[in-house]
Amino acid sequence: MSKPSDLIQGTLDLLILKTLSIEPKHGWAIAKRIQQVTEEVLQVTQGALYPALHRLEQQGWIRSEWRLTETGREAKFYSLTRAGDAQLKKELSQWERLSNAVGLVIRMA
Amino acid sequence: MNLSRWKEILRNRFRSLLQRARVEEELNKELRFHLDQQTEEHLAHGMPLSEARLAASRELGGVAQIQEECRDMRRTNHWEDFVQDVRYAVRTLGRSPGFATVIILTMALSIGANSAIFSVIDGVLLKPLPYPQPDRLVRFFLTNPDYPKFPINRFDFRDYRSRSRAFESLAAYTRNDQQLSGTGEPIRLSGFSITAEFFHVLGLHPAIGREFSTRDELPGNGHQVIISNNLWRTRFGARRDIVGRRIILAGVPLTIVGVMPRGVQHPGNMYHAVTYGETVDVWTPFTFEGNPTNRGSHYMDVIARLKNGITASQAQGELEAIMAQLGREHEGDRGWHVMVIPLQREIVGRSQRMLLVLLGAVAMVLLIACVNAANLLLARATARQREIAVRAALGAKRSRLIRQMLTESVLISFIGAVFGVAIAIGGVKVLVSLLPADFPRGSDIHVNTAVFLFTLAIALATGILFGLAPALQGSRSDLRGSLHESGRSTTSSSGSLRLRNILVVSEVALACILLIGAGLMLHSFVNLLHTDPGFRADRVLTASISLPDVRYKTRAAVEQFYDRVLTNLASAPEVRAAGVGTDLPWTGYDENLGGFNIEGKKPPPHQDFHARYHVASADYFRALGIPLLRGRFFDAHDNKDGAPVLIINESMARRYWPGEDALGRRVSFEDQPKEKDWLTIVGIVGDVKDTPASNGAEPAFWWPLLQRPGPLSGDAAIAIRGAADARLLANRLRASVHKLDPDLAVANVHLMEDVADRSYSAPRFALFLVGLFACLALTLAAIGTFGVISYAVNRREHEFGVRMALGAKPSDVVTSVLSEGMRLALAGVLAGVAFGLALGSLLGSLLYDVSARDPLSIAIACLVALAAAAVASYIPALRATHSDPINALRAE
Repeated sequence: MSKPSDLIQGTLDLLILKTLSIEPKHGWAIAKRIQQVTEEVLQVTQGALYPALHRLEQQGWIRSEWRLTETGREAKFYSLTRAGDAQLKKELSQWERLSNAVGLVIRMA
Repeated sequence: MNLSRWKEILRNRFRSLLQRARVEEELNKELRFHLDQQTEEHLAHGMPLSEARLAASRELGGVAQIQEECRDMRRTNHWEDFVQDVRYAVRTLGRSPGFATVIILTMALSIGANSAIFSVIDGVLLKPLPYPQPDRLVRFFLTNPDYPKFPINRFDFRDYRSRSRAFESLAAYTRNDQQLSGTGEPIRLSGFSITAEFFHVLGLHPAIGREFSTRDELPGNGHQVIISNNLWRTRFGARRDIVGRRIILAGVPLTIVGVMPRGVQHPGNMYHAVTYGETVDVWTPFTFEGNPTNRGSHYMDVIARLKNGITASQAQGELEAIMAQLGREHEGDRGWHVMVIPLQREIVGRSQRMLLVLLGAVAMVLLIACVNAANLLLARATARQREIAVRAALGAKRSRLIRQMLTESVLISFIGAVFGVAIAIGGVKVLVSLLPADFPRGSDIHVNTAVFLFTLAIALATGILFGLAPALQGSRSDLRGSLHESGRSTTSSSGSLRLRNILVVSEVALACILLIGAGLMLHSFVNLLHTDPGFRADRVLTASISLPDVRYKTRAAVEQFYDRVLTNLASAPEVRAAGVGTDLPWTGYDENLGGFNIEGKKPPPHQDFHARYHVASADYFRALGIPLLRGRFFDAHDNKDGAPVLIINESMARRYWPGEDALGRRVSFEDQPKEKDWLTIVGIVGDVKDTPASNGAEPAFWWPLLQRPGPLSGDAAIAIRGAADARLLANRLRASVHKLDPDLAVANVHLMEDVADRSYSAPRFALFLVGLFACLALTLAAIGTFGVISYAVNRREHEFGVRMALGAKPSDVVTSVLSEGMRLALAGVLAGVAFGLALGSLLGSLLYDVSARDPLSIAIACLVALAAAAVASYIPALRATHSDPINALRAE
């Protein structure tokens, strides 16, 4: 019940990593960004974001620090580690291979 | 990069574990921030405040749930679950202290026994020898069909040294005890003559001074000595300026050129063996005297260091080639092969089988203890079925239940291991004190880190092993069945019962295997004790004396000395007989002489007549109680004026005069004997077994003391048979010797009974331990049988009550229960015998005169196992007869 039913876990991880590759962000900003970019097609249950962030942090792909936002509030900002950057590249190329293959099958069939 | 990631991961894990409160607080703050942001966004879109807040929380989802999931992601739940499981396990164990005590005690005993035996194996077999790069050290020997392992000729050694390329260095050595006289009673020093570079080969260096060079090997040189650290400290006050000082050993002044450091281990030797260890006091140079073409006499031990990258078998190939070359050059070098043995194997090889058998035995005990523990846990899992069913009903996953039960079993084995280590520390002390006399590396046996790690590993493994079956069985609860079941009796599925029966059968089988092993070893030991060693050890005192050549230059002087000592001893009222000879039974002496002639006989082609040779005085045989079979012992007339005579043993008579009378036959040691060269056999004595474990004796003969060919060189052995306690003879012997020569050491004073007894110590040690383990195994198996039968009786209590109400006699009930127990035991015993027959041959050389399939031992082992099972089932059977029919019917 916790996992977004329409979003497999790996995809959420990929989206988070990709979002963070541009610049460090806090949780709410990540959620907003994913909603914006996907034009609200992929509805991320906001709650599901946090376990995913904690998992990625535990795995050493991202790290967190408390910083001030533009409005002067303290927020937890996440950023990619070097290992996370490499992981993102790996997952992106895998994703492309997979989506190409799926696309091919759909067109051919 | 990978490393930095792992650092990151570790940092996070530690933070999650150790700063839990802070991590939780931060998570709260983070979620609050999110809600605030979301609320603000809604406000910005013109939503009223209360509605904005509501919408934000709805979009985020349940905060408690998110927190729990984040904890899951941080893996801290595993840890918390673990702590909870351990607490729960401790509580459950505390609730049934009887159960806990039995199961922990059996685990502690068996883990402790395993750790103790492992300590011995670690110290003796696994730990490398204390020399640099010990795996490159090898020994080598000659071998041929008659003499499988034979020492090296000194001139052959010199040729190996100059011709071989496989070794970085090699050295030869031979026993050469010394006598140190001066202040106080003269003492015998254990000594060796060594060639140049002996210590270099071992990778050792003198702490002070130098070791011998090839110059010291030249005849005429060699008046130097290197002393042990022990001698340096005890006799020379640990003086640093010791080098260059002269000491008098065996009447000869020698210059001290070196002092060895502490901990120099003698690598062991074959000829007049001194065991491995810090057993040597002095080393003198070996000088190559005599005619270098004489390759007939063999008494050198060789140690060599392989060149880097050369294997023992490559070295053996090279030495074989050199030996073949030498065979072409010298008559005496023909027909020999070379055998290279790694030093470690040479030292510990003989003990290896015994240790591995002990490890196998003790591992079986551990296995039985595991089966027992599994059985007990299974019984309890059945009793806890309702509790488990309730937990499952409340949503506990099966994996979670299994983990909880495994935590409990591993906890049990760890508590067992803690006590086990204590048992091992005590047990190792006992084991070391019981070690057989000639057991190598006893001082290397300690409970160390390796032993702790081993204990930890087996504790974990056994915990999982004995916990797994009960956990799988217990967690497979049939919800409705268990909850529906009435409280009247705890029935369990037939699957659980079958599993428990299988466990009991395997327990009995394992115990039976151990009993068979112990039975075989006991039978073998009894055989050993009952065989006639060939001499009578009671009331005999033995000692050795070494007359220094420089003071006893002539044969007459030597003869006169022994004559006086023996006469003096014989005249004492407490002495029955006193004799002197070259050696005593079972003291490692093994000299052979080949190539004598027998009048009227020819040896088979490519063979010669050979026998072990000894020298004995007139009363030597009487003193040792070696029986005279035919003819006579030596007497005073067998001197240099009398006709040359010999006494032979029964083996020699049977070997060379089969079906004939050897008495009066003649042999000669000359190639072309003249009439005066023939020696007449005047007596045949009984065989003395070569070693306690040998089945008979090699052919052997004795020269009379006064007719022996050469001087009575080196040690002479004295044997005195007393009228009463042989202990009283020691002072009389010392007095007799010192009256004639106060500078002589009377060394190796032992009771012959102790010498004989030491020879039994290895089989006794193995028997004691295997017997102990078998008893432990039997007890555990009996407990297991008792548990299962009791359980079965509990289950059928109702049935028994009904049957007795219908007129069944108590004896019927007893028979019914007993037969159930015996059925299991019988299955176990059959399996045990099958495995026992297969495994028996592993005992191999540990058995004396007993087949590995000895029916007597196997039958007794089976009976003992069945009897134990019968007792273990009889007690619950009796209880079954007390089933009250009224209760049974009321419950209906």
